[in-house]
Amino acid sequence: MSGNKHQYAFFLGCIAPNRYPGIEAAAIQTSKNVGIDLLPLKGASCCPAPGAFGSIDLNVWYAMAARNVVLAEQMKMDIALICNGCYKSIYEVNHKLKHNDELRDGVNEVLKEIDMEFKGTADVWHLAELYYDPKIVGVKKLADSVKRPLAGAKIAVHYGCHLMKPGKERHFGDTENPMWMEELVAALGAEPVQYRNKMQCCGAGGGVRGYDLAHALDITNEKLINMQEVGVDAVTEVCPFCQLQFDRGQIEIKEKFGAEYGIPVLHYNELLGLAQGMSPDELALDLHAISVEPFLKKIL
Amino acid sequence: MAVKKDYKDQKLAEKLRDRKYYIPDSNPEFIKDVEKIGQTAAHMCYQCGTCTGSCPSAPRSSYRIRLFMRKAILGLEEEILTDPDLWLCTTCYSCTDRCPRDLAPTDAIMAMRNLAFKRDIVPRNFLQTVQLIYKTGHGVPNNDANRAARKRLGLEAEPETTHKYPEYLPGIRRILDHYRLKENADRILAEGE
Amino acid sequence: MAEVKKYEEPRIGVFVCHCGTNIAGSIDVKAVMEYARTLPNVIVADDYQYMCSTPGQNKIAEAISEQKLTGVVVAACSPRLHEPTFRNATKAGGLNPFRFEMANIREQNSWVHMHQPEEATSKAKDAVRIAVAKASLLEDLIPKSVPVEKAAMVVGGGVGGMQAALDLANAGIKTYLVEKTPSIGGRMSQLDKTFPTLDCSQCILTPKMVDVYRHEGIELLTYTEVEAVEGYIGNFDVTLRKKARGVITPAEAEARGIVGGGCTGCGDCATVCPVIKPNPFELGMAPRKAIYIYHPQVSPLIYTVDFDACVKCGLCVEACDTKQAVDLEAKDEFMTVKVGTVILALGYDIFPIEKKFEWGYKNYDNVITSLEFERLICASGPTGGHLIRPSDGATPKRVAFVLCAGSRDNTGVGKPYCSRFCCMYSLKHAHQIIEKIPGVVPYIFYMDIRSFGKMYEEFYYRIQDEGAKFIRGRVANITQDPVTKNLHVNAEDTLLGRPIDMEVDMVVLAAAIEPTAETEKTRRLFGVSCSQDGWLLEAHPKLNPCGTTTAGVYLAGVCQGPKDIPDTVAQAEGAASAASIPIHRGEVELEPYFAVCMEDKCAGCGLCVNQCPYQALALVEKEGRTVMQVTEAKCKGCGTCGGFCPGGAIWMQHFATPQIIAQIDAFLLGGEQ
Repeated sequence: MSGNKHQYAFFLGCIAPNRYPGIEAAAIQTSKNVGIDLLPLKGASCCPAPGAFGSIDLNVWYAMAARNVVLAEQMKMDIALICNGCYKSIYEVNHKLKHNDELRDGVNEVLKEIDMEFKGTADVWHLAELYYDPKIVGVKKLADSVKRPLAGAKIAVHYGCHLMKPGKERHFGDTENPMWMEELVAALGAEPVQYRNKMQCCGAGGGVRGYDLAHALDITNEKLINMQEVGVDAVTEVCPFCQLQFDRGQIEIKEKFGAEYGIPVLHYNELLGLAQGMSPDELALDLHAISVEPFLKKIL
Repeated sequence: MAVKKDYKDQKLAEKLRDRKYYIPDSNPEFIKDVEKIGQTAAHMCYQCGTCTGSCPSAPRSSYRIRLFMRKAILGLEEEILTDPDLWLCTTCYSCTDRCPRDLAPTDAIMAMRNLAFKRDIVPRNFLQTVQLIYKTGHGVPNNDANRAARKRLGLEAEPETTHKYPEYLPGIRRILDHYRLKENADRILAEGE
Repeated sequence: MAEVKKYEEPRIGVFVCHCGTNIAGSIDVKAVMEYARTLPNVIVADDYQYMCSTPGQNKIAEAISEQKLTGVVVAACSPRLHEPTFRNATKAGGLNPFRFEMANIREQNSWVHMHQPEEATSKAKDAVRIAVAKASLLEDLIPKSVPVEKAAMVVGGGVGGMQAALDLANAGIKTYLVEKTPSIGGRMSQLDKTFPTLDCSQCILTPKMVDVYRHEGIELLTYTEVEAVEGYIGNFDVTLRKKARGVITPAEAEARGIVGGGCTGCGDCATVCPVIKPNPFELGMAPRKAIYIYHPQVSPLIYTVDFDACVKCGLCVEACDTKQAVDLEAKDEFMTVKVGTVILALGYDIFPIEKKFEWGYKNYDNVITSLEFERLICASGPTGGHLIRPSDGATPKRVAFVLCAGSRDNTGVGKPYCSRFCCMYSLKHAHQIIEKIPGVVPYIFYMDIRSFGKMYEEFYYRIQDEGAKFIRGRVANITQDPVTKNLHVNAEDTLLGRPIDMEVDMVVLAAAIEPTAETEKTRRLFGVSCSQDGWLLEAHPKLNPCGTTTAGVYLAGVCQGPKDIPDTVAQAEGAASAASIPIHRGEVELEPYFAVCMEDKCAGCGLCVNQCPYQALALVEKEGRTVMQVTEAKCKGCGTCGGFCPGGAIWMQHFATPQIIAQIDAFLLGGEQ
């Protein structure tokens, strides 16, 4: 343990550790480089998936998410996470239970059965917002950590929905045309590019990817067209589920619709890892469905 | 009540089905249930269409979130719960962000889905996620190819979750069983076979 | 009044009102009346359908004379509504009107406890018992008359303020018209045309501006703000800050002994001024100099120096030459005027619509507000009346109008109310571009078209006939084509039930309106309340829409709530009429709720003098002793001194300590003595 000043219980979720493990490895290493230690949150589960569980029974969603928060409470730590879907579940349920006694009592009745109690002592953060927060890391410190600037790379930012929206239940300000993630990208020496309808959904959420894949992909396709229109070397996001939708989605889009884009999809932590000097192997970029090679050629 | 047409030609009876809205055909309690579960004052919708205009699903389908709000207010429970469009919301929350009435149409849709599930109306993929979590703690569980990749990265084959610590699984199952979620998921999936 | 009062044996009459079913619908009026009969000192109790009706009032008057009553209690509505009525009835019966006490069993009872009849009835009995306890201790009071200064003040020089000032002055009342900007004219002077008649706004406004300027009865004080207010109806002392203008008028020049001097509005100074700033009158779309007039029709035609921008190079002083009108060392000046009544006509501002991020105002070049549209379509505006796209100067052929932009918005970002004139001016805008730009199509995105005024619905018909396209759907968001700077307006056509992505050349946001930045400060100076949304509160929404709860202060125009020009002018005339009444009567009666010093108990410590928020108290020498004296006309009966006096030497008329204690006892002891 490096003993950094800022320490968080690291909530992994499902898709990062089980499909894109490079994101997990990158998150731990890159955070350490900018002064954040991510400690294992032992026994955490699926957040659980807000679309699937929220649609079936919101009470189960509350209870399951609360269990994950309680694990961090028991460590006396705040949670940091790397997925917008997880953020929706863990941040929002934590927030709701802190402010709604009736909900909290209902959840605690269930948690009692497994000797747990939600106390409301932990806060939940997305790593990306910790990176942006000058009190924790800040854009300058991020830039200082860069060993290999991503100079010349034009990168589209996909914020994803569940991090920022609904805006009134979050704290990110403008949800229509935010620019803070562009600042994070620029800090790495890359050029963030604006494209049409940048805040549009990736299409995967709400169970739609499983329910009607073509429908979900058609939304993804619209975003890819808008990115291609302005010419990008890669798209970055902070949500492994969005990543899956853009990355594997491009293969599925080719199969179903015939369109081909070849736009590499990189989680911000993967991008940060590259900029801090991690090798593509250390990030398992070969697991990506869309080859990251053209992007690597541009920056290496 | 809608006029029942017992025409001997079934096709004609369907073609000429009474389309009028009759108050007795509606359930005034439905909107209250939606509001309780969704925690939003759905009855305050003034039908401006900001939601549909914001919706990424609307331009590529017949899904109209505004109409779901309208039907909920009118108590057209049957029409709502049996409409396959109900499951096309990606929960992007753009409508909620922009709704000038400060409502959360997304959460109203989630509430309607919850009510549909109570009547066993639910797409199979939602239930499969439940089964996976019951079994492994993860909606998207680990696999051998991934384990190999993790090791390559210097990570342990199993992440620090229920995968590495299966002793946490009984607690998770207890929560799911409390709501009889697994039982219902198994039953509905089996019935659908 | 040097000793504690002695009372005659109280004989109280109680009258309970049904108010139709307003009260009787949830309160058992008969039971309350029967209960009143059991109370000490109650000689007679009665009930009636409408106590405020003539037969109801007669019951009171007759009972007073027949039963020799010493006090009257009416259990009915709010004293705000009918206290004057029942005081008159009390007087008609031969009693001093201040022998009357009201128990509110409607607003504070039956209306709020509609579904709890038993509890409501019990609460009504409590209210009657408390009122009887006080009525038993009431005393005769004589209202005080004070003279009214034969002058009025109007704050705000827009069309409402100008109309009010003209009416007052024409009625023979000396009127001070105070305007914070360098010219009168207000918002209306920024408009191109007015709906539904399509009159040129400036053309109908400038004659009024000239009338105001020329009127002998109006003292026009532009570039002036209200600094402090003291006094009360009939005798307001208003301190004004005349902001340093840096330019003197011919009259001021003459007073300084400069023959033939003072500003003539020639503009030589502005020609040489090297400092360029955006002109706020043109919403920053045109430049002005550091010494400036807003536009050629300003009134008064006097230049003003923007001292925040001025570099004091002195070129203007040279250019002005022998007129010697420019004084770059000018300082703010203060003056105090005495007026009998005041009209607030504070106007409105445009809600900062960039706060609604989804429409991209200030982010996308070709998204403008309706007020900017007015300037762009106006022949005297920055483009000479040619509507052009800010991005490239091209004439737009497809223009979207976004109604309810920030109005009818419950998110906490926009405004919950309807701004009331946006539908109509947007229809007018559609007409104007159809008239000026061949082949143009206006698209009006609306939720409801509110065309409620005289000839308004007909105007709607006309504009639809002229070719405007109406889309019933609120605009969800706007995106910009990065290359063409065209805009994509996203909405749902709710009548089709289809999402719509309309590419247009320009978007005009009919932004909500809000109270001006200064409204809050000004209303506090005059002691006027406001409603939750910040608009000033009228005395009664239906029956006293021009008055306020502060006697002698009246409201005109949008500062009271969104309204269009005809409604503003109508309210201004109403306010002028109301404000002239006390002045023409020459005196006003003040409620006799004064503090009274019981001199034998007063130690002359003077602590109360500093406590008084109205400077109504002073220490005086009387028979060799120092005692406190009240200036009754200044006293508002707030009770601060009475509660504070360490010796209990201050008697608050009508709210005296024994009266209040009797009320508290009556409540707490449940009628048991």
